[in-house]
Amino acid sequence: MDIQKTPENVVLSLRNVSMSYQARRGRVRAVSNVSFDLHAGETLALIGESGCGKSTLILGLIRQLSKTGVVDAGEVVYRYRDGRDTDILKLSDRQLREFLWRECSMVFQGALNSLNPVLRVSSMVYDTAQAHGMDTKEARDRALSLFEKVRLDPLRVFNAYPHEMSGGMRQRTLLALALLLRPQVVLMDEPTTAVDILTQRSIIEVLKQLRQELNFSVIFISHDLAVAAEIADTIATMYAGEIIEMGPVEEVFYRSRHAYTLGLLEAAPRLSAGSQELNSIPGSPPDLIQPPPGCKFHLRCRFASEECKTIQPTYTPATTISDHIVACHHTDEVLAAR
Amino acid sequence: MSALSTPSKILDSPEHDTPDIMKRLQRIWRSYIFRVVMQGILTILAVITFTFFLIRLMPGNPVEIKMTQLMLSQNLTMDEARAMASTMFNYDPNEPVFQQYLNYMAKLLQGDLGRSIVSETPITTLIAGYLPWTLFSVGMGLLISFVLGVTLGILTAYWRGGILDNVVTAIASVLYGIPDYVIALLLIMIGGVQLKLFPLAEMLGGSTPGIEAGFRLDYILDLLFHAILPVSTYVMATVGGWILTMKSSTLATLGEDYITVARARGLPESRLLTAYVGRNAMLPLITRLAISVGIAVSGSVIIEFLFSYPGLGLNLSRAIGQRDYTVMQGIFLVTTIAVVTSNIFADLMLGWLDPRIRLGKEEGE
Repeated sequence: MDIQKTPENVVLSLRNVSMSYQARRGRVRAVSNVSFDLHAGETLALIGESGCGKSTLILGLIRQLSKTGVVDAGEVVYRYRDGRDTDILKLSDRQLREFLWRECSMVFQGALNSLNPVLRVSSMVYDTAQAHGMDTKEARDRALSLFEKVRLDPLRVFNAYPHEMSGGMRQRTLLALALLLRPQVVLMDEPTTAVDILTQRSIIEVLKQLRQELNFSVIFISHDLAVAAEIADTIATMYAGEIIEMGPVEEVFYRSRHAYTLGLLEAAPRLSAGSQELNSIPGSPPDLIQPPPGCKFHLRCRFASEECKTIQPTYTPATTISDHIVACHHTDEVLAAR
Repeated sequence: MSALSTPSKILDSPEHDTPDIMKRLQRIWRSYIFRVVMQGILTILAVITFTFFLIRLMPGNPVEIKMTQLMLSQNLTMDEARAMASTMFNYDPNEPVFQQYLNYMAKLLQGDLGRSIVSETPITTLIAGYLPWTLFSVGMGLLISFVLGVTLGILTAYWRGGILDNVVTAIASVLYGIPDYVIALLLIMIGGVQLKLFPLAEMLGGSTPGIEAGFRLDYILDLLFHAILPVSTYVMATVGGWILTMKSSTLATLGEDYITVARARGLPESRLLTAYVGRNAMLPLITRLAISVGIAVSGSVIIEFLFSYPGLGLNLSRAIGQRDYTVMQGIFLVTTIAVVTSNIFADLMLGWLDPRIRLGKEEGE
């Protein structure tokens, strides 16, 4: 899907966003200095190891971090359909409550636990509608048509309790529920991780189709690079709380310029490659309470030189023709190693 | 041929051959309520059987003892004494055990529990006199304690670490550690005798002697006045447990994904607190509630004794003191029925609150 990337159709814009958790040992800088623009209709996939800050980032930008987590700095500017801009981080609690789900909704990781076990799906639909002033009849009609779109038996699911549905059904129910109020942005935290491969396929198909019909933007977290490659327009690689490489999906996957992205790709199995070509990245992610100086990846990087140990690389455009940016001192060597 | 064709016909259309009444019966048979109630009835039957044989197996058969007593005290012949004793215990010791058991059960079904060995009044009359007092005081204590405990528990968990949490949790932990009879004694000794916070002597008993019973305001106020001490003892003895259990259950629920999702959906806090947090957190407490109803009905012995409250517990202790086996048997029966009924009630409540527990298919697909 081709999307227009112009400053006019940016729906969500993050500028220098940092988030941290208070731990006994000190502050855990889970997200530092993240900036990016999400355009209308764009799907952005965040990839990276567990603990790199992906989930913190998307929970933090709708202010749903757990009690110990805070957004330390930066702004998250959201543009309403009528062109008004607002900083989500500055909304009052009441404004935030109205903003959530109507403008920006979320599909969570554990489909099995994301629905209240004692309520019917219909109650959850009505609760959501009522909280945002949508009337009952409209909510019901909208929900039924969405259930049909995600290939569920609409009436049956509408009247069902969560435990009466399979994992795949629940995940699709959540997807439909996320679109109930026609949000511009949908955040997805590994929506396909907890389901089997066939269900995963059908959810991806449904998602692609919905995106075409309803035209919303998506920020998508995935450990599965194949899934990310299939549905994303833009890939952002996160390492130790920072976005270290970001660009169009073909650019990042076929012409990776950061050693860490390359490492992730080499660790993923491919049909065309033999098993001996799978390489994991040695070592483990750095301590985020006292992050290493210089490039945070230098301890695990095979390209690391003296300057990587002291000087933190800044974002540089990788090419002149695309908006592929990367923060690495050895982009050319990485590109050549591919 | 016809024998072979019939089963296949049934297989083809199971609905057509079943008459309407059968279908309805089948639905009742499969329903959750039916199963729960049947289970309860079976439990009660088992307990009745057990107590029946327990009384018969007691060393120094109480019927024989009573017979001897009657023969000596009222100058009766052995046959007369046996006849009298057997009406009291509801069985004739000369019949075969199984026959006795059947007779006992038949009388029980007609509501005849026999007579007290000591006062010779029918047990049903006695129980009908004590039971309302216990149900009233224990029921009120439990209700207040449960509602208070659940509310405070959910609030302390919600604002964990705040002043309310610290104060309430501390008080709850202390109360939880004190047995109910100690609380009752402290109330009497400190509140009533030393500090004279309330007129202890007037508050004892079930109602002020001489006041005419009836559905009148002064009588109802008098009843409430006399119930204050036992009810506050029950509340203080149990509320700590409710608060602590509800708090931990709420904390566990708050960590569930569906709460985060509900918050992200922008639901108002009130809806979140009731239908999402409260309802899920309360599930484990319902079973506890049923158990404590049972314990409260039989376990109020000491409290009722201390406050001379004329309930089942006070009369059970009196019956034990006088070796009044038939009254004991009757009170045990009532306690059993109370425990079983509250368990049925808990099961139905749970089924109503938690759809995952409903087993039978109550609604058509």
